[in-house]
Amino acid sequence: MHRLVLLLLVACGGETTSAPPIRFLHTFNAEETELFNRLIDEKTIRVESSIVPFARGQQVIDEILRAGTSCPDLIRIDATWLPALRAELVEVPAELAGRDWTPEATKLAVDPQAATLAVPQTIDGLLVVRDRARPAPSSPAIDDLVAAARAAKATGYPLGLRVDGYWLVPWLRAEGVELSIEDNGIESDGAVKATARFAALFGDVAAPPPPAGSETPDELRRWNAGELAYWVTGPWALGALQDRDRLAVSALAHAPRGGQLLVVPKCAKRPGEGWKLAAELTDVAVLAKFAETFGTVPTRRSALAMAPQIARDIYAALAATEPLRRDPRTPLLFDDLNPALAAVIAHDATPDEAIAGVRRGWQRLRGKAR
Amino acid sequence: MKAPTLRWRVLLVIVLAAIVPTVIVGVLAIVRARGDVEREVHRGALAHIRALGAALDGTLQDARRTVELAAATWADDPDDVRKTQLLARRLRRDVPIVSSLSILDVDGKLRHGDPVPQGVDIGSHSFGGYIGDAQHASGKTIVNLVVQARGRTGEQIGVFVASLDLEFVRDVIATARLGEGARVVVVDGAGLPVAASTTVLRSDSLAGKDPAVDRALASSVEGTLSANGWVSAYRNLSSYQSLRGVRWAILHQQPEHEAYALARRTTRDTLVIGGVALAIALLLGVFFATRLTRPLAALAQRADAIAAGTIVDAAPIKGPGEIGVLGQRIDEMAKRINERTELQQALARGDRLASVGVMSAQVAHEINNPLTTVLGYAKLLQEDKPEGHPDRAALEMIAEEAERMKGIVGGLLEYARTPRASERIGTPAIGIRAHEFTCEPAAVVRHVGALLGPQLKKARAALTAEIVSTKSVTIEAHSLQQVLVNLVQNAAQALTDVKAEDGTSITGGRISIGVRPAAGGIATLITVTDDGPGVPERDRARVFDPFFTTKAAGQGTGLGLAVCKHLIATAGGSIEVGEGPEGRGAEFRVVIPNAV
Repeated sequence: MHRLVLLLLVACGGETTSAPPIRFLHTFNAEETELFNRLIDEKTIRVESSIVPFARGQQVIDEILRAGTSCPDLIRIDATWLPALRAELVEVPAELAGRDWTPEATKLAVDPQAATLAVPQTIDGLLVVRDRARPAPSSPAIDDLVAAARAAKATGYPLGLRVDGYWLVPWLRAEGVELSIEDNGIESDGAVKATARFAALFGDVAAPPPPAGSETPDELRRWNAGELAYWVTGPWALGALQDRDRLAVSALAHAPRGGQLLVVPKCAKRPGEGWKLAAELTDVAVLAKFAETFGTVPTRRSALAMAPQIARDIYAALAATEPLRRDPRTPLLFDDLNPALAAVIAHDATPDEAIAGVRRGWQRLRGKAR
Repeated sequence: MKAPTLRWRVLLVIVLAAIVPTVIVGVLAIVRARGDVEREVHRGALAHIRALGAALDGTLQDARRTVELAAATWADDPDDVRKTQLLARRLRRDVPIVSSLSILDVDGKLRHGDPVPQGVDIGSHSFGGYIGDAQHASGKTIVNLVVQARGRTGEQIGVFVASLDLEFVRDVIATARLGEGARVVVVDGAGLPVAASTTVLRSDSLAGKDPAVDRALASSVEGTLSANGWVSAYRNLSSYQSLRGVRWAILHQQPEHEAYALARRTTRDTLVIGGVALAIALLLGVFFATRLTRPLAALAQRADAIAAGTIVDAAPIKGPGEIGVLGQRIDEMAKRINERTELQQALARGDRLASVGVMSAQVAHEINNPLTTVLGYAKLLQEDKPEGHPDRAALEMIAEEAERMKGIVGGLLEYARTPRASERIGTPAIGIRAHEFTCEPAAVVRHVGALLGPQLKKARAALTAEIVSTKSVTIEAHSLQQVLVNLVQNAAQALTDVKAEDGTSITGGRISIGVRPAAGGIATLITVTDDGPGVPERDRARVFDPFFTTKAAGQGTGLGLAVCKHLIATAGGSIEVGEGPEGRGAEFRVVIPNAV
């Protein structure tokens, strides 16, 4: 069936060698970009792609879509950006939406209003990565993870954590606080308690944070040195690891789940071509290739069956996780949460002081929303 | 089709063995040199733009850090206007690329500095700040740096917005030392030139026009591309994560013609040097092929001559090493073939002569009996006729001629006589003692002198003998006697043939016989010398042939010397004729092996 869809899409697009290239704005990292370029070179379609650095992705895309000029035919976005962009996007053709997506992928691609606005390219989220030689934590619970880390006889700091609000989410959820602007969880003592518990791990079982911007290389260095026994991270970090055979993964309770989506903006000059490229990028072989190369989790059941064991293990570990609240302002919450968390871990502020600042920031955000 | 000559085959071998590998190696060297130059060009260009990119990144990062530090400092005491003004002044002074600075409170209201440039997002979902896309306005290119000012607890107090003048990019590029025709271009995320080392229209996007720009914007890292006659190295500066999202790329571009000039020169030099080397090799090849094959060609010609039977007495074939040895062997082979041919001819002639001899012997035998009868009756009739009878003279003439005919017949019978086994040298027949076919030459010489004394006296010839050797020789005394008698009679005859200037015969002269050891001492040399007119050189090779004579008709049978040679050769010796010792007369030299 999907072959028929592709044929129809090709026919609608009227692709010829002289046709203008498909304009594609994406957030692939360096290694993924190179693989994407190689895969496209092997195909007959012409693509003019441009990178949007992930850190500014939502902002740049928002600017481009608002300007309406240089509008891309297809965009790869983070799943948390979808609610904010939904008004600018077109719905996925039924043939494409009807592919054998996994339930988790389907959930990501549908906006809160139940419209299918995106084609899921991969799913990700936080999980626990460990050396296969290490015992798995006795349960996904945070306390069992910390206990396992403390028991690990490793030099340095055996637990890998990042000073980032996204990593704080499991600790917040463990205290009953959801990362949401609508809930008042941030006002509760649970938020302070979670922040304190999280920050207390740094310098204890987790390494003190490296200078800003060097988190990824620092984590890789510590993992390759065998210093990290348990590492809370996502599939995006595994592609750079050289020896993936010694990896084992397990679930982390309350961890957030996300993913990367392919969307076509309403301003696209050739939306059919955009969907054609989306179909190519979510072709079973392509998804399996990404899974084989980087360990990313395919979004289709048939591709998942072809994926290496590590990708299937990650999928299983992510099955118990929950996405962040589908709200346009959710990504903005990290603007205040991240520096507050950094201030606590750096001992510049107490958890009470830091969370108080976050509450004021989120209140201003609520005020702007109104 | 005619097969190529050995020279061309040798030349072909030289070509295959030396020139073809040289050409292959040369081509490989050119290809490899080209590849090496391309790699070096790409590597050099990438190193160049890495350094330039690092310089741009360092400048922007320094600006960002300084502004972040200023923002954090301001956030701790945002209401102190004097401190804010001092901070802004120091910031502008320490970061000269800041062209405008705006300090806003958390609600976005301007607290100090310049108005906020239009359209600037003051930092929502920017992870605390960012450097925006390049903007082109009023002939200038800027980027806006937005930094959230957060206090000690991480709470946002305000926002710093600094416009950074990108003219420094042009200054950085201007310091680059570029190759011939090369240029460096920095483009923003839309492909618009931010700065370039050459004049580029800033309002025109290069995206979609320059494949290298498209590739640079599509790539997350760096690479090279050869397209449209240009060699481009590109680096997407978005990979500098420290810039928090600057979308631009830097390219180093150079016309292929210039970029690969070194490869072209190397190719040209290699071709020229290789061509000269090949030409020299070819000339040397021709020279050595000719030199090597010349003796072989001569050998081939010599072999052809041998095969054709036209062997000539050619100069020896000389050549180096084995070829010289081969030439010598062929010469030796030709000589032997020549000798064999002559021998075969001699044998053929000998066969003919033997046939004639046999036939002559048969004829002589048949004639001898009736001739004896004729001679007997002639003498009887002569005795019956008294002196003065008119028939007596005729009968005497019949008897003399018959006698002479008996001599001829006897000579023929002697020449054709098969030697007895006892006469064969060194192999005496069983029951025959060795001394039966040996003799002492001195005794034979004395006997011959006595035998021919009257005849020599009549011819007024003085015979002398010089006997030095007394060894026995391997020839029967009768045979040696016959030889010496024949030689002395011929000498005496020669002495009587001498004519004076007035036409009268001059008789008399000297005949000497010498017996002395031959060279090596294993044979005896017997010489018969006279001081007569000698034997002309042209006749010397033929005087031993049967029936060859220089005497007047009726005075010689032409068999004497042939019989002599036959007898001497049968005894294992040799006989030859030459000039006398004083350059006149004749000397017959007979060599006979000594008896053991």
